[in-house]
Amino acid sequence: MSKPKIAIFDFACCEGCQLQIVNLEEEILDLLGVADVVEWREAMSEKSDQYDIAIVEGSITRPEDEERVKKIRSRAKILIALGACATMGGVNKLKNNFELDDVKKCVYKQDANKPHLSTALTKAVDEVVNVDFKVHGCPIDRKEFTYIVRSLLLGKTPEIPDYPVCVECKAKGNPCLWEYGQVCLGPIIRAGCGARCPSSGFRCFGCRGYVDNPNVDAAKDVIEKYNLNIDDLKTKMVLFGSTQEPTL
Amino acid sequence: MCNCCAEKKDIYLPAPAAIQEVKMLNGTELYLRLSMDGSPLEYVPGQFVEVSIAGIGEAPISISSSPTLGDSFELVVRKIGNVTNAIHNLKKGDKVGIRGPMGKGVYPIEQTKGKNLVFICGGIGLVPQRSFINYVLDNREDYGIVTILLGTRNPSERLFHSELEAWSRRKDVKFLETVDKGDEKWKGNVGVVTTLIPKIENELKDAAVLICGPPVMYKFVLMSLKEQEVTSDRIYLNLERKMKCGVGKCGHCQINKYYVCIDGPVFCQSDLKDVPEAI
Amino acid sequence: MSIKKISKDEFRLVVDKLIGKGNVFGVKSKGDKFDYGQLESSKELRLDYDVTLQPPKKYFQPPVETLVTYQGQGNYNSQYDCEKFVLIGVHPYDMIAINQMDILFSQDNYDSHYFARRNNATIVACDVVNASQNVFASSMNTAVVKDGFDVLLTDIGDSYIAEAATQKGEELLALAQKAGEATKDDLHKRQAVWDKNKKELNKHQLNCSVTYLPKLLERAYNNPIWEEKAKTCFSCGSCNQVCPTCYCFNVQDDVNWDLKSGKRERAWDGCLLDGFTKVAGNHEFRNNRADRFRHRLYRKGKYVPSKIGGQIACVGCGRCIGACLPDIANPVNVYNKLIDDIGII
Repeated sequence: MSKPKIAIFDFACCEGCQLQIVNLEEEILDLLGVADVVEWREAMSEKSDQYDIAIVEGSITRPEDEERVKKIRSRAKILIALGACATMGGVNKLKNNFELDDVKKCVYKQDANKPHLSTALTKAVDEVVNVDFKVHGCPIDRKEFTYIVRSLLLGKTPEIPDYPVCVECKAKGNPCLWEYGQVCLGPIIRAGCGARCPSSGFRCFGCRGYVDNPNVDAAKDVIEKYNLNIDDLKTKMVLFGSTQEPTL
Repeated sequence: MCNCCAEKKDIYLPAPAAIQEVKMLNGTELYLRLSMDGSPLEYVPGQFVEVSIAGIGEAPISISSSPTLGDSFELVVRKIGNVTNAIHNLKKGDKVGIRGPMGKGVYPIEQTKGKNLVFICGGIGLVPQRSFINYVLDNREDYGIVTILLGTRNPSERLFHSELEAWSRRKDVKFLETVDKGDEKWKGNVGVVTTLIPKIENELKDAAVLICGPPVMYKFVLMSLKEQEVTSDRIYLNLERKMKCGVGKCGHCQINKYYVCIDGPVFCQSDLKDVPEAI
Repeated sequence: MSIKKISKDEFRLVVDKLIGKGNVFGVKSKGDKFDYGQLESSKELRLDYDVTLQPPKKYFQPPVETLVTYQGQGNYNSQYDCEKFVLIGVHPYDMIAINQMDILFSQDNYDSHYFARRNNATIVACDVVNASQNVFASSMNTAVVKDGFDVLLTDIGDSYIAEAATQKGEELLALAQKAGEATKDDLHKRQAVWDKNKKELNKHQLNCSVTYLPKLLERAYNNPIWEEKAKTCFSCGSCNQVCPTCYCFNVQDDVNWDLKSGKRERAWDGCLLDGFTKVAGNHEFRNNRADRFRHRLYRKGKYVPSKIGGQIACVGCGRCIGACLPDIANPVNVYNKLIDDIGII
């Protein structure tokens, strides 16, 4: 049986998630032992229209991007959204909170109206095409990425946590950052990162998105308990979750 | 590995088994006959095994054969999750891991000896029931009147056609079948399995009733049996839950005070009185 | 078995000798809190701690551990972690939790993976010196422990009373060359510590005898408290994760890059988590937050006790109280509210 073909594409993003794949170093050789990487702009010059698994990093921010990702979808058997920009729009989606013209002027000043700088509302990949699997995070977790790839090569649906970051944070033995005055999003954000930020003393920023069934009432209750108001929490969520459901 | 651990049996270690026979029973259910590489599996009807596919995981699967089958045992698997998907790709001669048999001494073989038996099966609920049905038919003289009710969603999902036909032809078995929705070829009963219950009023008297089917079926069957004044000490239910370890540790299959994996999966209804999560 | 009086300095020497010989884990400070960790020097050991962030269960059932490895289909091998280690500073309530785990992992089916670690451990328990903010061990009859440990230390001021309970404990105490037999007076002092802890490790007072809990819960299944409390439950499982008597686990396979060999691991799980009872095909049996919230307290107060001779499976460490952000996990609050509602009969 020939090896499955993998192609990696990028849209609006910092390419940091692809960098995480590059950073696999020797493990990339293991990956190449069981799959052929046929296109990957960040790491090689070859291109291909033939692939089984498409890995897409970045969010969709221009009409021409929509066409491109649809073409990728039509060629791939499996499409994986890689990283927060692809899975939920990511930091790019902050833009959707403003008027597009204001955004362009702010970024490009006098060049704002040049045609090649056109822009549209930011979309996650699954707002444009069907996504089979999501590798969450900003950036992605290398261990989780390789687990997902191996699972798919084996024909298995990877088991991605649907419980909050607190689970992994407590398993690590961390004290709760709320006790130290941080507005940590851990209780409502999907685990799988190994509670990387809270383990380093930084609150959870929510880069993996909400769990499937976050308890909004509980969040409101905790905010009150800590003498905060709802805007304090909203400002913490805006980085990754500004236009995501559920709204508080 | 050090000696301190080698002494004890590892309850999580699957033993190798080989696929002897494999065939699709209908569009969704795969039949497998397996034999252990070592000594044969010793089990009683209603027990289950954890089938282990390396790299994918384990899934609890009811044993469908009767212990009277001999050295091999039979499973029927619906493709529904990672492990069962992988099982559907197996071929004759392939190896799998088996842990078990698991579950308590299960179907009330001893308590029901000499008694009338009624099996009520819904869909793939037939699969575990078949173990005890065939056991009873192989020891027919030990039991009274045997009645089998089977409800299937539609004719294309029926299992074990030739066995069903053989049961329906036997004079010492009353076999009634229905489908929720018929097709152009179906000549039999149409309706849910509970519609068959009023037809066996006499057979239900003093009988032990064994039920297995999808979770939604139990409530309705139990209501019908109550109308027929079947007391809870005569009703046995085969319950399904999420299982991981199968050995009474991991907690997933717990229903109130019971672990389905070691206290079940077959429960007498009278033992479920203060177990509201059961049904 | 011997009961010795060991000066604190002498005990530090013992700990350093142990560190020189192998793995020693003990209670250390972690910011303004405490937790178990590997000891590099006796100076790190803090036996005056109030409570640790995590219970010591991780030394017997780690957050993630490999149960078996496989080389291909049907080809499995057991994996065991059998290194000897010493665990220093286990408080009585945590020791009682370990004793309960010993029963649960041995009954029905003997869990050789748990006991590979357990049998290789030498446990030095120690009586509580400073009560934590949320401890209620006095209410749960777990402020003092009588068995399970190899050595029990009791701080009586300038020195410890050290009682060996096993041969392993005797060997450990033999390292304290200057220690003498404890006198009657020393034992009185130890008894005074026990008497004090039996009363004063009680920041939350349970309003019934601990042995009454299973009976109380028998009548409380449909009480509105479960829905009320669970309204603000994140289902984050923090209460499960920090609990010394929570031992539920998930089992998952990971495969190597050859897509043939790999390992099967078990990892801590929690009955509060969404999906804990979800089967393939997505039917979830305990789908409701309130049902999961109730399940935890029924396990502690009714279901597990029926498996371990009536012992209540909440040892009053109070960790869940501190770990619960919306402040609903306190078992005493729930049990007391039930007593208010339905009374003691």
